[in-house]
Amino acid sequence: MVAAVGVGCQQSSKHAEINLFAWSEYVPQAVIDGFTAQTGIRVNYETYASNEEMLAKLVSGAQKYDLIQPSEYTIEALIKQNHLLAVDWSKVPNFKNIGPQFKSLPHDPKTKYSVPWMAGTVGIVVNTEKVSDPINGYNDVFQEKYRGRIVVLDDSREIVSWALATMGKGPNDVTSGTLAQAKGILERWLPLVKVYDSDSPKTALLNGDVDLGVVWSGEAALLYAEDPKFKYVLPSEGAHQFLDSLAIPADAPNPEGAMAFMDYICRPDVSKLISDDFPYTNPNLEARKLLEAEAVANPASYPPGDPKLSGFAEIGEAAVEIDKLVTDLKAKG
Amino acid sequence: MRQDLTALAGAGPVRQRPASGTAWLLLSPLLLWVAAFVVAPTLIMLVYSFCQRGTLGGVVYDFTSENYWAVLDPTYLKILIRSIEFAAVTTITCLIVGYPVAYYIGRAPERRRNLLLMLVMVPFWTSFLIRTYAWVTILKSEGLLNSLLLQVGMIGQPFEMLYTPGAVIVGLVYTFLPFMILPIYTSVEKLDNALVEAAFDLGAGPVRAFSKVIVPMTSPGISAGVLLVFVPALGLYAVNDILGGGKVDMIGNVIENQFKGGARNWPFGAALGMTLVVAFASALWYTGRRRPH
Repeated sequence: MVAAVGVGCQQSSKHAEINLFAWSEYVPQAVIDGFTAQTGIRVNYETYASNEEMLAKLVSGAQKYDLIQPSEYTIEALIKQNHLLAVDWSKVPNFKNIGPQFKSLPHDPKTKYSVPWMAGTVGIVVNTEKVSDPINGYNDVFQEKYRGRIVVLDDSREIVSWALATMGKGPNDVTSGTLAQAKGILERWLPLVKVYDSDSPKTALLNGDVDLGVVWSGEAALLYAEDPKFKYVLPSEGAHQFLDSLAIPADAPNPEGAMAFMDYICRPDVSKLISDDFPYTNPNLEARKLLEAEAVANPASYPPGDPKLSGFAEIGEAAVEIDKLVTDLKAKG
Repeated sequence: MRQDLTALAGAGPVRQRPASGTAWLLLSPLLLWVAAFVVAPTLIMLVYSFCQRGTLGGVVYDFTSENYWAVLDPTYLKILIRSIEFAAVTTITCLIVGYPVAYYIGRAPERRRNLLLMLVMVPFWTSFLIRTYAWVTILKSEGLLNSLLLQVGMIGQPFEMLYTPGAVIVGLVYTFLPFMILPIYTSVEKLDNALVEAAFDLGAGPVRAFSKVIVPMTSPGISAGVLLVFVPALGLYAVNDILGGGKVDMIGNVIENQFKGGARNWPFGAALGMTLVVAFASALWYTGRRRPH
């Protein structure tokens, strides 16, 4: 025992800690504690509230991170700029538990850099006590009769992607032509909106200030768990499926520790802990088998049927145009 | 902060003396602070505002002036004007509400004065965001205020208060009121009662005594208060997001989006920020020049 400690000492000084930079409210403390208990590696958990906030700190280089948790389009941009380290899959044997539908996606086509954390969708929440008409898509939500009863994400790209979907276009089909047409649609939609909130859109719905929302599926799952009158609908025109993954920055001081963490969260029992706290769509198929029946039955977490879903791609300068488009429309209202 | 307020409020005619070495030594912490946290960041912003947008955020050091041309877009001017309107309404409301309070506290007997001042400061013990969320609980349609009004029968059905411009003003006034009260209080406290009595003795009514003697004597406090409320109210956008529902953008929202939103356009955000800095500095310089010393 004493000898083991002595030998381990040299190693532990190098592998003693990892810096995890992840979304706020997304990594259960139990998972961090469990990892430290298992490996002896301490985890410094720092949080961010948007992919862009993460990029700003990562690119500034003021602090070196071992693990980041970007969404699909941000992973794509980081790979293109050579900012990520390829994962050594022999160190992450539990990666086999991740479902094939979450591997080899367009943002990481060869599955070289990222380990899916949680997936989710952006869809419609309906307070069925207040809204009796059937709501199937965006066009059902943005109607004159629901003026002042709608909450949407405060996110220009999301908002524009909904208009694109009703035009039969994908979220990455952004040209001057499609954006001009989308602007015409949003000109009718946005004046109907009462609240823009990306952080906690469920609040306005729970408080009874609005009856309809286009929100993150995780928020919808929490609403449904609170009261089944909040129904989650994936828009028939098509919806955004986001996928947040763990990745290792190219200049990570402790990539070994980072891969150990990746492997740890791919363990079914650990992944289940994440699902328990944050009921998004778990990409870990083995973990899903451990979930309680009612968690799997929550339609916001595991939407039934075969919905039309697509991820966001990195769109470069068009992001500036989209920001301007929504700012213009909001300023008009 | 307290010292700053007192200095601002009490700024009267001072005899000029050449600064000694000791004076510079005493001043050096302040100068260092200003250099590190005001001058340096402003210079960085100035440089950024003439650069090009980087792919992952950040900037590419290629000179361009197009960011400033983009600021002149009617949308941003409209947002800027609206932000100024909100800040102005907030400042005026704070002045109307805060002046009598400050006057009352300043004239109260010493023992009670400290207790009253304490009451003004108590809200600072809690985080500003938590206090703003508390207003959500008060103003929401099934909230405290609506329940109260329904109960006493003043209204027949819930009144829409949350997510309106009025809610934003309430939140801003609530946040900034102490910054109006405190500097005016320091001026009122110094007010020489003999001068007020003299005004009455010389035949002035309460209105004239107030407008010709009390207001001019407390004007340093008033201008400090106006400055301390107006400037931060113009930049604060969190209240607009939480109580206004983010329906209309304030200039602060637009700047935040350039750094933390999908646009990832730091140079443009920097140009917007610099425009505000220049506008403030010129307004201050202009009013400072007009004030006779």
